[in-house]
Amino acid sequence: MAATAAPAITTTRLRSRYRPNRTLLAGLCVLAILLVLAFFPSVIAPYSPTDFDYKAILQPPSWQHFFGTDNFGRDVFSRVIWATRIDMQIALFTTLFPFFFGSIVGAAAGFYGKWLDSLLNIISNIVVVFPFLVLVIAIVAFLGPGLTNMYIAVSVVGWVAYARLVRGEMLVQKQAEYALAARVMGFAPARIIGRHLLPNVIAPSIVYWMTAMSLGILLGASLGYLGLGAQPPTAEWGLMVADGKNFMVTAPWIATFPALALTIAGITFSLIGDGLADLLRPRR
Amino acid sequence: MNQLCSSTERRGTRLSTLLGLIVLVALLLQACAAPAAAPTQSGAAVATESAAAAPAGAPVSGGTLRYGRYADSLFLDPVLNDANLDIWVLNSLYDTLLQSTLDGQGIEPMLAEKYEMSADGLAMTLTLRPEIKFADGSPITPDDVKWSLDRARNPDNGIWTFSLESVDSVETLGDNQVVLKLKRPDPALPAALAMFNSAIMPQKLFEAMPGATDEEKATAFQEKIVGSGPFMLKEWQRGNFMLLERNPYYWAKDENGMQLPYLDAVRFEIIPEDATRILKLQGGEIDGAEFIPLSRAAELKADPNLKMELFPSTKVNSILVNNRSTLTDGSANPLSDVRVRQALNHATDKDALIQVVTYGAGTPEGSFMSASTPLYAAQAMYPYDVEKAKTLLKDAGFEQGFDVSVLAIAGSADDSALLTALQQMWAAVGVNLKIELVDAATRTARYRANDFQMRTSAWTNDINDPSQITSYFAIFKTVESLHTGFQDAELEQLFDDSQKELDPAKRAEQYKRIQEIYAAAAPIIFLYETPYPVALRSNVNGFYQIPLGQNLFSKAYLAK
Amino acid sequence: MNRWNYILMRLLQAFFTFFIIMFLVFMLIRLLPGDPASAILGDRATEADVARINAKLGLDKPLPEQFAIFVGNFFHGELGDSISFKIPVMRLIWQRVPVTIFLATYAAVLAVLIAVPLAFVAALRRGSAVDNAIRAVFQVGLSLPTFFVGLVLLTVLGAQLGLFPIGGYGTTFGQHLYYLFLPALTLGFNLAAVLMRNLRAAIIEVLTAEYVDFARAKGLRNRVVLSKHVLRNALISTVTLLGLNVGALLGGAVITETVFAIPGVGRLMVEAIYGRDYAVIQALTLTFAIMVFAAFLITDLVYAQLDPRVEMA
Repeated sequence: MAATAAPAITTTRLRSRYRPNRTLLAGLCVLAILLVLAFFPSVIAPYSPTDFDYKAILQPPSWQHFFGTDNFGRDVFSRVIWATRIDMQIALFTTLFPFFFGSIVGAAAGFYGKWLDSLLNIISNIVVVFPFLVLVIAIVAFLGPGLTNMYIAVSVVGWVAYARLVRGEMLVQKQAEYALAARVMGFAPARIIGRHLLPNVIAPSIVYWMTAMSLGILLGASLGYLGLGAQPPTAEWGLMVADGKNFMVTAPWIATFPALALTIAGITFSLIGDGLADLLRPRR
Repeated sequence: MNQLCSSTERRGTRLSTLLGLIVLVALLLQACAAPAAAPTQSGAAVATESAAAAPAGAPVSGGTLRYGRYADSLFLDPVLNDANLDIWVLNSLYDTLLQSTLDGQGIEPMLAEKYEMSADGLAMTLTLRPEIKFADGSPITPDDVKWSLDRARNPDNGIWTFSLESVDSVETLGDNQVVLKLKRPDPALPAALAMFNSAIMPQKLFEAMPGATDEEKATAFQEKIVGSGPFMLKEWQRGNFMLLERNPYYWAKDENGMQLPYLDAVRFEIIPEDATRILKLQGGEIDGAEFIPLSRAAELKADPNLKMELFPSTKVNSILVNNRSTLTDGSANPLSDVRVRQALNHATDKDALIQVVTYGAGTPEGSFMSASTPLYAAQAMYPYDVEKAKTLLKDAGFEQGFDVSVLAIAGSADDSALLTALQQMWAAVGVNLKIELVDAATRTARYRANDFQMRTSAWTNDINDPSQITSYFAIFKTVESLHTGFQDAELEQLFDDSQKELDPAKRAEQYKRIQEIYAAAAPIIFLYETPYPVALRSNVNGFYQIPLGQNLFSKAYLAK
Repeated sequence: MNRWNYILMRLLQAFFTFFIIMFLVFMLIRLLPGDPASAILGDRATEADVARINAKLGLDKPLPEQFAIFVGNFFHGELGDSISFKIPVMRLIWQRVPVTIFLATYAAVLAVLIAVPLAFVAALRRGSAVDNAIRAVFQVGLSLPTFFVGLVLLTVLGAQLGLFPIGGYGTTFGQHLYYLFLPALTLGFNLAAVLMRNLRAAIIEVLTAEYVDFARAKGLRNRVVLSKHVLRNALISTVTLLGLNVGALLGGAVITETVFAIPGVGRLMVEAIYGRDYAVIQALTLTFAIMVFAAFLITDLVYAQLDPRVEMA
């Protein structure tokens, strides 16, 4: 989004400018904690996430139940811990394919232009012209509800944002002096893209990736609200917030603690995104 | 960003995190500290236990009752509609010749002030009340009645024609009588005449509508409904609201001679989200709300500004089971053995389910039909007995248990709670329940193709007679006994006989035997009945929802 | 290529795109398991009832013939009747589209009104307590699901404090603004958070770049130059992001309309998919396509206007 073109970055110079970035470190620390919870939930969680306990319904937070219990008597704290795994998976699988595929397609379209760019335009118009959520709902109705189908649905549509971002940045960067110089020097286009342009154009895509992880989890929550995402009785933060919607006044702990978890995850990804953006932004 | 700002950035991002957490915790604390009840708006009348009991004060004429519904009606034609969403509203627009009593057991006069059956049971004569009029002031004549009933029983018109199948012809007699000539004696005929599809509509106005087919005319008539009921359709914005206004020509008066309906208008507001509907009710923006999630019934009952009603219903919840020996994919079906089905019934702890799923509002089923259905006969069902279940499974050769799948609606928290609990219960006898989640249209399509092993199911009666539910649940030629494939020759013979049996005592005997046979064969997993959960503001009196599901607004009023 | 040729070419592309979309939607919804008859009649349907409905809807004809009939009708301006409601689809949509457009536009306007000034404040006071507070609040909002934010606002501001009506749409323009404030705020808040973040970063980038260049120069002249540069780049980012997010706004409208009981097309689309109401799904797809395409075209044009180095290829 900068107005001025920045000087070229080759890999050597990138390495020598590497600085341990506090924002990035903070984000990675929290992410590490989340991943530990995701891989070893039973170490921390005192109860099973799915066992009903009819005698302990809708209890407020206490020493026995740190986050209280829900309307089936399940321990909210344990469910929040167990849900970490599911939500980390959602964050990863809704963004992995779109990021890689979209960035590559966008870079190529921006660089080569002409028919490739027009094709990208047509495809992206077709794919993007539906509201994202509606398209996901339609695909899920077709394939059946559940997380796997949600990943498929999101991947089919989600790559376009990255493609457009990278293409836009590429259109600017390929006119920059260093790129023109590289072409004059006779480097092969693939090398120009790979070594010179990509590091410069990829930064907004990476930052968007981090935001998209958080958005992916939120999409899972919306689908859970509509009944199409993670299915009860699975513990998933978004689904837990949806389940708690009928108890906002009488038992707010049911929805609020998962919402807190969502916020922490969102902050984590945003810290990482900011940190990476700092890291990758060309220095003058 | 360059190094000029990194030190402050560092501090900044950590501070942001901290602040973010503080904001969220503040939200939580605020929510915890908030009182459970919402602020009052109108003056609170003394909360009474039930709306049908003695109201606090005399009925008051006037006012608009705003009622929150979870979804909008689709097609307001008595004969061509397909859904409860339409049925439960049609009675406000159209009257029928006879009506159901409030307890759902009997039939009483409505537009017809009396009716007589001939001695041989092959003719019924109905006498219309004097001076009854449509909502535009034109008189309701025997010709209108004949035309309406002929339209309702025309086999090309919609899916409810079965109710008047016994009628051979309808004739007018004089200026206030109608005679129905029957092909056979029909004990359910009075109930059929109280059913929504027998609504009396104005023949001339309907036929004057543009359109070549009956459906086209009905579609046009929907916009300009002139009915025979307590209210008229004033305005309808689909998905948004429906406004009904008092019919000034309505015939009914209450015991003190006051003109019914009391209300000037009823306004249905469509609010699909349960939590929002309840918030609106608590805030006083609406006066009543239907389909209250049972998990909130206790909370609303404790609210001094509200009345939480659990109207007795005909709603039965069960798990339909495919009784056929092989499934559509060719594999053997363990559920075809009656001992297996009985074992599963014994392995189901219905009281626990009632606690978990209905929060105590449900009652165990005593038969495949609800207790409020006429001629209901309670059976000795299947008490919770895990040992007995294991023995039965062993006898059937399934000591090791087996796998079974159930079709459930995605996203339904009730289905999920029910099936998860069943999973745990049945695991104790070695049966592994797999839950298959689909959306409603998919489930219906597979169900019709008999491509299922088990599915959740809820049923409400449409008529005050056991014949409808029996024909669907237990008779093969209707819908293959709700697609279970169940078929019993003795039961079918009893049913055919009962369709002609005019002696109530004999008919009751027949139905007792029918229910015995069905209970013993256990073609389904019997669960529980649930009431209709409606919450009203405490100044709303006289509203009632009958077991068939119809909402009665004609005697509702807003006390001061 | 001048601007008008560009627009014309885009419109041609659009027409071609729409045709492909209609074809895809037509085929795909007929591949959905379950049919309108199942959705309408529910569990009590007999085979005879289903056959009757399928025949009436023309669903028993071969697919190519169905598509031909559909295209033919379309060019006569007939979009068909809603299978569930049995009224013409156009009427159903006509009532509801303005509602959703109002909501989405209101949300976008609120988002910009909130994000732009706050982004400037945060960027100019980079690192201060104000900056951190702003970023914190937006960070929280960005991480919470729409329906949760909506229900919290509804519960607190609507029910407990009684400041706003609980759901609904109102009848006059003024009432619309009042009734839709909470839903628009809910819908726009995510967008505001995204806008604010990126805008703040962009402003800081420009500020620091210029700052280094003009390190020695201080005073009003510097500020004037700065604000022109800063504003223009701020606009570029905002416009790009708004364009990218139109789909998200309409998608979020689905949830918001359900929570706040607003009679718009977002909710209608989901209900139509559940109810297998083919006619409504097809018509709404086209409607969404038009709305989103128009937004894209506008943002592309504005983007090209603001950044002259970009060719309109």
